[in-house]
Amino acid sequence: MAKKKRCVAMLLAGGQGSRLNTLTKNIAKPAVPFGGKYRIIDFVLSNCTNSGIDTVGVLTQYQPLDLNSYIGIGSAWDLDRKDGGVTVLPPYSDSADVKWYRGTASAIYQNLNYISRYDPEYVLVLSGDHIYKMNYEKMLEYHKDKNADVTISAIEVPWEEASRFGILNTAEDMKIVEFEEKPAQPKNNLASMGIYIFNWHILKECLEKDAKNPSSTHDFGKDIIPSLIKEGKNTFAYPFRGYWKDVGTVQSLWEANMDLLDENSQLDLFDDSWRIYSVNPNQPPHYISDQAKIVTSLINEGCLVSGDIEKSVLFQGVTVEEGAIVKEAVVMPNAVIEKNVYLERVIVPPNMIIPEGTVLAQKDNNKEVILVTEKMLEELYSH
Amino acid sequence: MNKNLLGVIDATTTFHRLEQLLGHRCLAALPFGGRYRLVDFIMSSMVNSGIKSVAVFPKVNYRSLMDHLGSGKNWDLNRKRDGLFLFPPTLFDKLQGQENNYFNHLASYIDFFYRSRQEYALLANCFTVSIIDFKKVLEKHIQSNCDITQIVRKDGTPLKMYVLKTSLLVSLVESRKITGYRNIDDVISDIGSPYDICTYEYEGRAEMIDSIQSYYYVSMELLKPETWLNFFPENRPIYTKIMDEAPTRYGKRNNVKNSMIANGCQIDGTVENSIIFRGVKIAEGAVVKNSIIMQRGNIEKGCYLDSVILDKDTKIKRGAILKGSERHPQVIGKGMVVLQGAVMRV
Repeated sequence: MAKKKRCVAMLLAGGQGSRLNTLTKNIAKPAVPFGGKYRIIDFVLSNCTNSGIDTVGVLTQYQPLDLNSYIGIGSAWDLDRKDGGVTVLPPYSDSADVKWYRGTASAIYQNLNYISRYDPEYVLVLSGDHIYKMNYEKMLEYHKDKNADVTISAIEVPWEEASRFGILNTAEDMKIVEFEEKPAQPKNNLASMGIYIFNWHILKECLEKDAKNPSSTHDFGKDIIPSLIKEGKNTFAYPFRGYWKDVGTVQSLWEANMDLLDENSQLDLFDDSWRIYSVNPNQPPHYISDQAKIVTSLINEGCLVSGDIEKSVLFQGVTVEEGAIVKEAVVMPNAVIEKNVYLERVIVPPNMIIPEGTVLAQKDNNKEVILVTEKMLEELYSH
Repeated sequence: MNKNLLGVIDATTTFHRLEQLLGHRCLAALPFGGRYRLVDFIMSSMVNSGIKSVAVFPKVNYRSLMDHLGSGKNWDLNRKRDGLFLFPPTLFDKLQGQENNYFNHLASYIDFFYRSRQEYALLANCFTVSIIDFKKVLEKHIQSNCDITQIVRKDGTPLKMYVLKTSLLVSLVESRKITGYRNIDDVISDIGSPYDICTYEYEGRAEMIDSIQSYYYVSMELLKPETWLNFFPENRPIYTKIMDEAPTRYGKRNNVKNSMIANGCQIDGTVENSIIFRGVKIAEGAVVKNSIIMQRGNIEKGCYLDSVILDKDTKIKRGAILKGSERHPQVIGKGMVVLQGAVMRV
């Protein structure tokens, strides 16, 4: 038996993120680069360590190689601990059969024995594909104050967007009376952020019950939460104020990167009291040459910049040659933008070389930004 | 025994001509190149040459060095066997009564050398900026059958780094009272010594930092792309302590030319031919030229800095003007506050 822990976090990181297109062809969504030096999962792992949660199970399934090696033993987030720390939990087989994770609830159900080792009072369920900073300790205090069985973190979204989310209909004391997944006619604009705190015995009980239910899809949002509310369990909404973004699409990933360039952004990466940690690639400071011009941008270490950069995010090791113009772009690690290239409203994936003189721009503000692909470049240069 | 090198770093050296920057730290811990400390270059060169055991001998003001090196994790030297060893001076060393006697310092830890499994030792200093491949030096040393191999630069300047058998090092240290040798330099310069001395010529760039002038000169050299690429080639990274700073943020109206800028900065002013360390703020309308700004420097609106070295945590208040020259860059000490026309310690 491992040492008892008050709270164990279970981080769902097995999603494919197919709407991120070629960015998630070889890596899981939580491993996608974000914000000039981070990967999406850095935010949740940093939140855990900054909130004093030192036992984190990471559930992986889709393309886990890169993600697993990135997480390593968790030292980047100070999660290499003698007791607890980070544990990567891939699907496994037992004497009966191989058990793929069939849904978010099934992933945790199959690792109940991991949680049992720590005999916690609470289990925090997180998802590895959101960008936000949050003190889970405060949410846990709230959960205890409300004497709740389950607490769901929720954020107010614009009414016109409410039908895209799981909406929590609450009583005055924030007790959840109804959960509606993507309602056509939303009665509230309080959206679930996919962050749950369960009393351990309640979680165990309902996951065991759900596993036996052949008609369940084994999903927290679709099955577990609605049935707990129906059973009359004490489920509360925890109102969160601050920056929170699901970066599940190419467009939203780009938008979230652009949000960082806003000086008054609610997501402050420079906040000393809530650092976002990441695995460091050990690159020298970046170099800005005589020919370069830089306006409202974020630039990471190891870049060599000789072009014009405007409202863009450059990850580590990016080269921008003379005469190149890079506008409202997200340029991922080690990409090379050759001479006289023009880029506007694009995402350049890691290691890509954009040949001299290439023009790639999304001039129409109402259309989605361009994710540059190898195929796109091949077509441009096949003639 | 195996044909491996034991890395031995002499961090006891200090230079009078650098004392303005060494008030709070030893030479090995001097910030350099935007995000490094001098010792990072020799440490990383050793690690990149396959050296698995590194011993550092500091003497005074080594708190910042200890903090920087930690367990050696950032150099992959937090190992069960071998790894990083820190050997500060001992009472034994002090009782020998002789200043500047490095062999006395080594003698207090002679058991370490007896226990080391490495057949050869590399005696290195902490103030040379280079990325020497010591594997090649060892190969040459073994081939030549010399007692001591001295590394020199292309122009013949000795780099004060030596390869010799660990057993020879031990006997040199143990016989120091008979021979009078205080360090390996004494052995090399003694024409009557019984040892065969060879040289290894290092083809690449190697610069020694021994004065404010050389510190400033070598720093500014980094701004030349060919020097940058020479010291920071992709396959031989320089490791340092990780700070987890955000990428640097450039504002709406900055003007940056020919500069090297580390992470965690907020740049809104003009920066030319300068080296900016981690976490520096340069406000709109401030001008920084030909300068080195160390960690967390804060330069307010309307300041004008030319040929200045700002040590860590300095604050340059609104409208202050500081001018040095290429030969005599103006140095502002750690934690100082500069008002228009006055330098204050807070």
